[in-house]
Parts: sequence; C-alpha cells; structure tokens
Amino acid sequence: MSGAALTGEEAPFPQREAARLGRMRRRRMQSLLGWGLCALGFGLLAFAMGWILLLVLLRGISALTPKVFLEVTQGTGGGLLNAIEGTLLIGAGSMLLAVPLGVAAGMYAAQFKHSWFASAIRFMADVLVGVPSIVLGYFGYITMVEGLGWQFSLAAACITIAILCLPYICRTTELALSQVPAAMQEAAFALGAGEGRVAWRIALPVAMPGILTGVLLAFAISVGETAPLIYTAGWSSYLWNGQLVRSPVGYLTYAIWAFINEPFASANALAYAAALLVTLIVLLISIAARLVLLRRQGAR
Amino acid sequence: MTPKIAIHGLDFYYGANHALKSITLDFPERQVSALIGPSGCGKSTLLRCLNRMYDLYPGQHATGEVMMDGMNVIGPGVDVDLLRSRVGMVFQKPTPFPMSIRENIAFGVRLHERPSRAEMEERVEWSLTRAALWDEVKDRLHTPATGLSGGQQQRLCIARTIAVRPEVILFDEPTSALDPISTLKVEELIDELKRDFTIAMVTHNMQQAARVADQVAFFYLGEMVEVASATTMFTAPREKRTQDYITGRFG
Repeated sequence: MSGAALTGEEAPFPQREAARLGRMRRRRMQSLLGWGLCALGFGLLAFAMGWILLLVLLRGISALTPKVFLEVTQGTGGGLLNAIEGTLLIGAGSMLLAVPLGVAAGMYAAQFKHSWFASAIRFMADVLVGVPSIVLGYFGYITMVEGLGWQFSLAAACITIAILCLPYICRTTELALSQVPAAMQEAAFALGAGEGRVAWRIALPVAMPGILTGVLLAFAISVGETAPLIYTAGWSSYLWNGQLVRSPVGYLTYAIWAFINEPFASANALAYAAALLVTLIVLLISIAARLVLLRRQGAR
Repeated sequence: MTPKIAIHGLDFYYGANHALKSITLDFPERQVSALIGPSGCGKSTLLRCLNRMYDLYPGQHATGEVMMDGMNVIGPGVDVDLLRSRVGMVFQKPTPFPMSIRENIAFGVRLHERPSRAEMEERVEWSLTRAALWDEVKDRLHTPATGLSGGQQQRLCIARTIAVRPEVILFDEPTSALDPISTLKVEELIDELKRDFTIAMVTHNMQQAARVADQVAFFYLGEMVEVASATTMFTAPREKRTQDYITGRFG
C-alpha cells in the first residue's frame, strides 16, 4: 500500500524505484521456488505413504476376518491371536524396562547438562541409535538366548527391544526437559525449592507431553521391529504360557516376514492381515502422540 | 533506622567479568529501595546476590558482606532454601507454574511448612487478598494459572511470594512486561506491601522509582555511584553522572 503511494506518477527517485521492483521480483521468484520444493517434498512423502496405506488396506481388509482376532495360528492358516498378544506383550514389557531407565537418564542429562557423565549418556545414546537393529538382535541372541540359556523367550525379546528404544526415550526426555523455561525453574528456586523438587514438580510436569510423545514413538518402534525379534523371540503358534524364559512368543511382524512368500493363499492372507494390523497400531500411536503434543500447545 | 540488609564491600564476578565493584549499601527495614541505572550496570546482579540466585550458575561468585539480621547471606554454611524463604523474589516476566491458581500458592507454602487444609485455604486467601487478586480469582482457584492475564499472573507471582511470608521481597523490573493499568496496580501493591516487608526493586522507569521508592541507588558500570532519598535523588543529585542519567542524557 505504501509502495503504491510511493510509485505514484511523481516517484522522486526513478532508479531506486527500478531497483526496488527488481528486488521484489527476485524475492517473489525465490519464494515461489521455496514453495515449489516444499510442495514437491510433501507430494513425494504423501504419495509414498498413501501408496503403502492403500496397498496394505486393500489387501489386508479382506483378510481381516473375525477369525484373525479369535484364533491362534495353525500351520499356515488360522488366526493371529497369538501374534497380536505377543506383539502387545513385547511392546509393554520393553516399555516397562526402557521408560524408567530412559526417562531417568534423560532427566540426568538435562539437569546436569555440563557434567562429563551427561555427555557420556548423550554420546552412547547417539551411538545406540545408529546400531542396526539386526546387530542388536544378534547381540541378544549371543548374550541371552545362548549365553544365559534363556532360549527364544519373552524376556530376551523385551530386553533387546528395550535397548533399542532406550536412546529415543532418553533423548526426547532430555530435549523436552531442556525446553522448560529457565525463568519458571528460577522462580521455583526463588521460593526456596530444592533441585529435586524443581525437577519433579515443575520441570517434569511441563515436559510430560514431550516425554510421552517420545515414549509413544518408541512404543511404535517396538511394534514395528522384526529383525531383533527373529533372533530373540523366535516364533510360537500358541498363546503365551506365562513363562519369561525358555518359551518362544509370536508377534505380528514375523507373520508378515514368514508368510508373505508362502505358496498358500491362507498364509498370504495372514501376512496382509498382520501388515494391516501393524500399520494401524503404529498409525494410531502416532496420532495419539500428535494429540498429546497438540494439547500441550493448546494449554500454553 | 536500622537497615534490614547491610551490604559492605560486595564484589561479584561472572567468571572473570567483575560485575559489581566493592558495593556498600543499606536497605532500610520496611522501606522501598529502588536500584536504577543503565542496562548492564549490575543492579539485577545485586538483587540476585540477596537471595543467592547466582548459586544456580557455576562460575558466578560473590565476595564481601551482605548482612541480614547478623548473618552474612553470601557466606559459607547458609541454608540457601531457608534464605530464599526469607528473601522472596518477583521476576520481570510473570512465571506462573503450570498448575491451578491455588496450587501455585500452595507449592511455595508446602516447601517450608505443613499447614492443615484449613490453614492452607486461609493462607491462599490471605496472600491473594494482599496481592489485590482475590476478588478476581476467588471463583476459579482451581483453574490453570496460565489462563490469567499478564497483569493477573504477575500479581499471582507476588501472592505466591508473600504466601511464604518472607521478610524481604526483591522485585526485578516487575512491571516492564505489563500494560500501564497493571503497572499502576503493581505499584500500588508495592506501596502497600512495604508496611510489612522490606522491598528492593530494580527498575528502568524513573517515574516509577520516584513514585514508589523511599530510597534510590544509582548504579553505573558495576559501581554504586550514589544513594539518596527519592526526593533528593530526583531533585538534587550529588553526582553529574546521576543527573545525566535521570534527565535522560544517556542510558
């Protein structure tokens, strides 16, 4: 508007005016280019995700019969009750181990951020994130399945997945805590609160949505993992017998991996049903994590 | 009049940076002392010495004497949490905790006492009334404090501070984030609170210092240039630097 006023018939500095218009044009082009790249990136991602969802949905929906939820696997047919139960057990068990440890480590790293031990935690978490999951599976196989003689078991599976999830939980906890406003913590100290009180009563509740998001995403990872479980959980067509060791457990990702190449239609159907279930569970968890974050932003 | 806090030969360091140089200053009991001066002159630093806020940050340290009732506040062996219950602080930006209005007050009280439920209710009402906020919030004590307006949040922070029943209250630019009406309310409040509390206040607002303070101290580059009653300070300052600052010639 002010530009229009300036560009009126009696613009006092014609050269300046030309330079200004050139600048505007260049900026508009750059802006357009930025938007274009963003749209392209979004399109690629949305296309890939849409394709995966569509494929899994189309093939899985017809395979998703009540039988899948009600019966255990029999050979290459039957249902997936054993695998659904196993996946949830492994997820819950590994979170039981990884959440307290990971949150504690993250709290320590955030509270004493300049200590050498905190940088050690950070470094180890970063290294652990980079370790391929199949290597972790092999590690679990050697140490627990073989070394401790646990054989394929729920315990070995949960501990292996817990190790896998630990760095994610640790780093998101630290990140969430480091975003708690320093002024708020100072205000609590100024009332005479000790370090522990400030960490538990002020910082932790404020950071909770962020921590919860990290935990949910780690849970989603545990549901979607395959390689480390093949080495540690084994596979079982029966429901869990309550044993922590020396008793293999089934899980959904195994059903996808093992049944997709079988020459039987019943097996393929189970694989697609399992794929749909895993995708749906991960999707639901991701949406839950989003909602938790949204609620935090709403509360501010 | 006996000073509530007597500072003698106080030096303060941010690492190697000598931020306060041999400060000697008294804070008279139940009066408002304003600390003025350009940004970076050390007035907030001085405030943070009185409740040992600098303890939170490694590399910051103070030497000298800050005597309060015969105890050197910055000396060794001081129970810092107890000290902070006696010397409260209100910050520049309102910092409500993410809890209900009532819990914001109860949080500080519970750090130092174990009141019964009835006593706590009484304390909540008392402190909110003293902070001129009770009538506005009495029907929504259980709603989140973050839902209050900025001015209300700042008065809640004041209520939270006096609920601990300190002897001294430090105000670090308490109105610089507030609108004029909220500022007026907080100023009236400070004037009213000095009947019971000794108050030290950092402000960038000369009019505010003139309106609220009994005593004014002018800081420049880590030194205390001059201290006088508010009337003297703003009508007949002794030092040229003071005069230049309060008349707006630099700062």
